[in-house]
Amino acid sequence: MKKRLLVIGLDCAAPALVFDRVAELPNLKKLMDAGIHGKLRSCDPPITIPAWMVMATGRDPGQLGLYGFRHRRGYEYNKMWIANSTAVKEKTVWDYLGEQGRESVLVSVPPSYPPKPVRGKLISCFITPSSEQAYTYPAELRQEIEERFGPFRFDVTFRTEDRSQVLSEIYQMTENHFEVIGYLLQDKNWSLFWFVEIGVDRVHHAFWKFMDRDHHLYEPGNPYETVIPDYYRFLDEKIGQLLEKVDDRTAVLVVSDHGAKRMKGAFCVNDWLIEQGDLVVTEPPQRGESVDKLKIDWTRTRAWGWGGYYARIFLNVEGREPQGIIRPEDYEAARDELAERLRAIRGPRGEEWKTVVIKPQEHYPELNGEYPDLMVYFDDLYWRSAGTLGYGTMYLEENDTGPDDAVHDYEGIYILYDPKKKGGREQDANILDIAPTILRLLEGPEVPGLRGKVIE
Amino acid sequence: MEKEFTPVSIPTSLYKKIEEKIKGTEFSSVSSYVTKVLRESLSKNEENKEVFSAEEEEKIKERLKALGYID
Repeated sequence: MKKRLLVIGLDCAAPALVFDRVAELPNLKKLMDAGIHGKLRSCDPPITIPAWMVMATGRDPGQLGLYGFRHRRGYEYNKMWIANSTAVKEKTVWDYLGEQGRESVLVSVPPSYPPKPVRGKLISCFITPSSEQAYTYPAELRQEIEERFGPFRFDVTFRTEDRSQVLSEIYQMTENHFEVIGYLLQDKNWSLFWFVEIGVDRVHHAFWKFMDRDHHLYEPGNPYETVIPDYYRFLDEKIGQLLEKVDDRTAVLVVSDHGAKRMKGAFCVNDWLIEQGDLVVTEPPQRGESVDKLKIDWTRTRAWGWGGYYARIFLNVEGREPQGIIRPEDYEAARDELAERLRAIRGPRGEEWKTVVIKPQEHYPELNGEYPDLMVYFDDLYWRSAGTLGYGTMYLEENDTGPDDAVHDYEGIYILYDPKKKGGREQDANILDIAPTILRLLEGPEVPGLRGKVIE
Repeated sequence: MEKEFTPVSIPTSLYKKIEEKIKGTEFSSVSSYVTKVLRESLSKNEENKEVFSAEEEEKIKERLKALGYID
């Protein structure tokens, strides 16, 4: 009989919180002791969308044409689209297995709304507008789930100062997910079972400053100091319960899409571009104004930016943007010059930053979709990019869109337990390695063109 | 490295017509106009990206902002 694989996706799980505290996590420790584990280098950008699909397809964000949660619609200034399942055109590991007649159960692997047909079952992810929408494949699965466990909880209400409320919602959501997963695990046929728990990411963003003594807003003796490690212990217990439900021919992969670290602040990239003369406005920005609402003089603007865990910078190029002013023949030089200035940005106290600037055309072997002209990780991702502006300072202590304590980090984790292999090894890997590893483990087809290596 | 721009040849008479057409409009060059028109024409054949209704899109944007993914 062929092997089965259970993929336990922990969105944002960080090496320091799993490997350095594994003594408190007996179920993960068992898998580590008997398997291979290590840091997993995420893709660029290291963000939930596209990272889970990079894992599932073995293709990088350039090939997928997915660079985050939103993209420009063509080269219009103000039109955008939100990433969703239909944007993923490459085949996933479950598509390949499906072609061999093998079934998969997928729960909340982003982006999976709207629910796409799969050989097996699917519940969509946190970009689902609400549980009022059709969110399963097949459609009847929804009723089956709701009759037993109530409406599926896609996410929690975020950016509220009421941390106790957020915490209680995170626990309720994760409980709900594990009930549903436990049921599907035993009731359905599958060769591949893949779920993603988003609660890990949410607990990091809402509680990091309470735990991390190096965080600029850390307060000793605060009541939420142990929230994050407590949540990991809770997850470990839930994972232990799932493992009791699978047989001894089931391999297990615990994996995260990216890591996390403390946020040092948010940098208002558009204020900086105004100061530098790259972005020209006809009216000064209101406090907290979004770049989409900003009154921009496009006939004099050379560049503008978007916020998020990384900055996307767009150049206003003649022949490409409606009112472009940079001549195509000057594009490369203008971009290099701007990249140089971005790299030279210093922190609020004049401290040096390790800012990373990526040119998509050079970074990705293949380039599809609506990529930005530059991708910027301010101070090695410690400073997020604020797209809003007009605060009177370019350096914000907090996220511009509400309280947030954590940013993403390049390295997530993986633990691979294969019942047929000896383990106990540590070996770092790359996110591109996950798809070929899954296909090899499940004796799926050899897929040409996958750059990742099988983890073994 | 893939180049961001590449030239295309079109008849000079067409070029002149476009030049006339875009005078006084937001288009700063013939290339701007041609790029926009071609993109529109091609996107009609592409799969529709309108997965969310306008109301849903607003709601999701707000949520993604609150989650820190976009702003």
